[in-house]
Amino acid sequence: MFNTSRRGFLQLSASSAAALTVGASLASLSGCSKVPVANGYKQLRAGDIEFLSALAPVILNKSYPGTLADAAPERLTKALDTLIGTLQEYSRGQLMQLFDVMQVAPIRSVMGAQWGSWSDASAEQIEGFLQDWKTSSLQLKRMGYGSLCKLLTMCWYSQPETFVSTGYPGAPKKIPA
Amino acid sequence: MQNNNQRQPDIPVVAGISDPILDGIANGWNVRESTEVADGSVVEADVIIIGTGAGGGTTAEILAKAGLKVLMLEEGPLKSTNDFRMDEREAYRDLYQESAGRMSKDGAMSILQGRCVGGTTVINWTSSFRTPEPTLNYWSEEFGVEGFSSADMAPWFETMEQRLNVAPWQVQPNENNSVLARGATKLGVDWHVIPRNVSGCWNLGYCGTGCPTNAKQSMLVTTIPAALDNHSELVYSARAERLIMEGRKVLGVEVTALGRDYQPSGKSFVAKAPHVIMACGAINGPALLLRSKAPDPHKRIGKRTFFHPTTFCFAEFEQVIDPYYGAPQSIYSDHFQWLEVSGKVGYKLEVPPLQPGLTSVLLLGHGAQHFDDISKLPNLHAMIALLRDGFHPDSEGGSIELADDGTPIIDYEINDYLWDGVIRSWLTMAEIQFAAGAKAVRASHVDSPWFHSWEEAKAGISQLEFRSNAFTAGSAHCMGGLTMGEDQSRCLVDSHGKYHHLDNLYVFDGSAFPTSIGANPQLSIYGMACKQANKLLETIKASA
Repeated sequence: MFNTSRRGFLQLSASSAAALTVGASLASLSGCSKVPVANGYKQLRAGDIEFLSALAPVILNKSYPGTLADAAPERLTKALDTLIGTLQEYSRGQLMQLFDVMQVAPIRSVMGAQWGSWSDASAEQIEGFLQDWKTSSLQLKRMGYGSLCKLLTMCWYSQPETFVSTGYPGAPKKIPA
Repeated sequence: MQNNNQRQPDIPVVAGISDPILDGIANGWNVRESTEVADGSVVEADVIIIGTGAGGGTTAEILAKAGLKVLMLEEGPLKSTNDFRMDEREAYRDLYQESAGRMSKDGAMSILQGRCVGGTTVINWTSSFRTPEPTLNYWSEEFGVEGFSSADMAPWFETMEQRLNVAPWQVQPNENNSVLARGATKLGVDWHVIPRNVSGCWNLGYCGTGCPTNAKQSMLVTTIPAALDNHSELVYSARAERLIMEGRKVLGVEVTALGRDYQPSGKSFVAKAPHVIMACGAINGPALLLRSKAPDPHKRIGKRTFFHPTTFCFAEFEQVIDPYYGAPQSIYSDHFQWLEVSGKVGYKLEVPPLQPGLTSVLLLGHGAQHFDDISKLPNLHAMIALLRDGFHPDSEGGSIELADDGTPIIDYEINDYLWDGVIRSWLTMAEIQFAAGAKAVRASHVDSPWFHSWEEAKAGISQLEFRSNAFTAGSAHCMGGLTMGEDQSRCLVDSHGKYHHLDNLYVFDGSAFPTSIGANPQLSIYGMACKQANKLLETIKASA
């Protein structure tokens, strides 16, 4: 039983790989990957920041923006920028390719995100997009979902200002000798 | 947002702790940041050790005390006691490979691995087990490994246990660990206290962010200082880029100097020595040999890479667990580990510490459900099962490949053989958690709801669907990739750790393991490196 379904996944995953590869090369043809990084960032471009900032309130739910308020988007995207900068080439490349695809409306639409720009999407639309990726039979969508959620939650819940939302009392205080 | 946020548990202030690394440097240790080494220069020594984790640290002390000038090269930065402030952000950025975001090629496995002076020993959770006897026997029978029987290894383990103060934890386990002991006892599942390599442990719970009290007997505070006290040199932020080879000899190592941002600084130098020891781990070690185009007639470099794929099961309790405080791992069970040596996959049960950043990743998912889960953090417990991979024809492990820029790509698949173990391990953990009094239990799979009874969990977990990237497969143990053994068609290093196809290259670390260990691997690496470094010393003395 598993064998059948596993083979099914592998086939779908090959076709989705093709879709994403075509998407990524279209994105690069359209000049997307040549977009310069945003001011003050080392990896992320303005469009990536818009994308991640749109996902944040949906992924992080009631903990976001929390006591960080207006400072939350920048704190989160700066932390993501640093983390992504330390990923090795393959993982970073995959992630940046995903970001590329999310920038170009027609390709994005094929991947399940039909709106004009990320800041126009409603929370319900983004929730639907995430649910689709989470349960998709396409491995690349599941991988995208998993990676985005892991990166955002890791960067967010390690910020001391969010401890209040999890009930974590915090680490012992360290006074260096 | 209101959850327990006013609670102020009685936790100590950590103060009055010295920093032995800063003291040592002030007293004249030969320690340099790579960018201080003149661009294009040659640094010479008697022995080069690449990597300063369990294998490299152990080896450095032994060779340095014997009078050899050892040059230790470490890719990661030098961070020490005063830097260890129990802050996940700083720790992941400074002490972990890829900021703790290291993943397998398909993103389905998250890998925690150290990247700093002292390697993973700086950030591990201190569990110290001898290599299990069935594992050693399997290596001998299947790979022709010689001199690795339990009796052969016992004195080496004993030496390292004494060196690193390994002893069963004497203090009451924290509540997170007590759940495992309590539930297992109720079910007649045997469990034991974990031996830890600590000295004067404060029982804080922050082993994973670098020990703030010098209690953990990592390489950083034990063997590396001992080597530096004995005329050795440490260059950190120094990535071994390529081995320089001529015929069957390694002449030296091309080293890239990394800047403070952990990126190549543009500077490089060459390290030269008559003997080169690789102890740079099961991912970077094979990648270094692949980049170097080292001789490999049977194409074995980077094959048989093992991870102890680790499954997670969460439980919610009425009482406060505070799973982030107290010695992170003090109780284990091997009840399900050796039911069969080479049949269905066996697993070791332990618990992980739950600091919020890491926990948020392990819980999986997003939105209201994820927030609901993580906002219960003080009342959460988690259990882990470490699957013993590499003992079955359907568990040949993963492989290490190279990206265009020469960095490693980790290919590892959770196949049907392992998935069977994943399901069984979730069932085991859920049953133990309910027996220990859990209110609700949830397997770390995106489809898993919270189950409210063992019966409900039993039915529900069996139905969870296999989809890669839909469940947490973690790893903190990277092993294999440069298999040790005498059968040259399958193995790359001999039983003394010497690379079969080169005369003066040695591999003294977990990458030489022919299978996974079936236990947290640090003591396996210490014992093996101790034995092999002493053997190498004999060889060097004999030829002098």
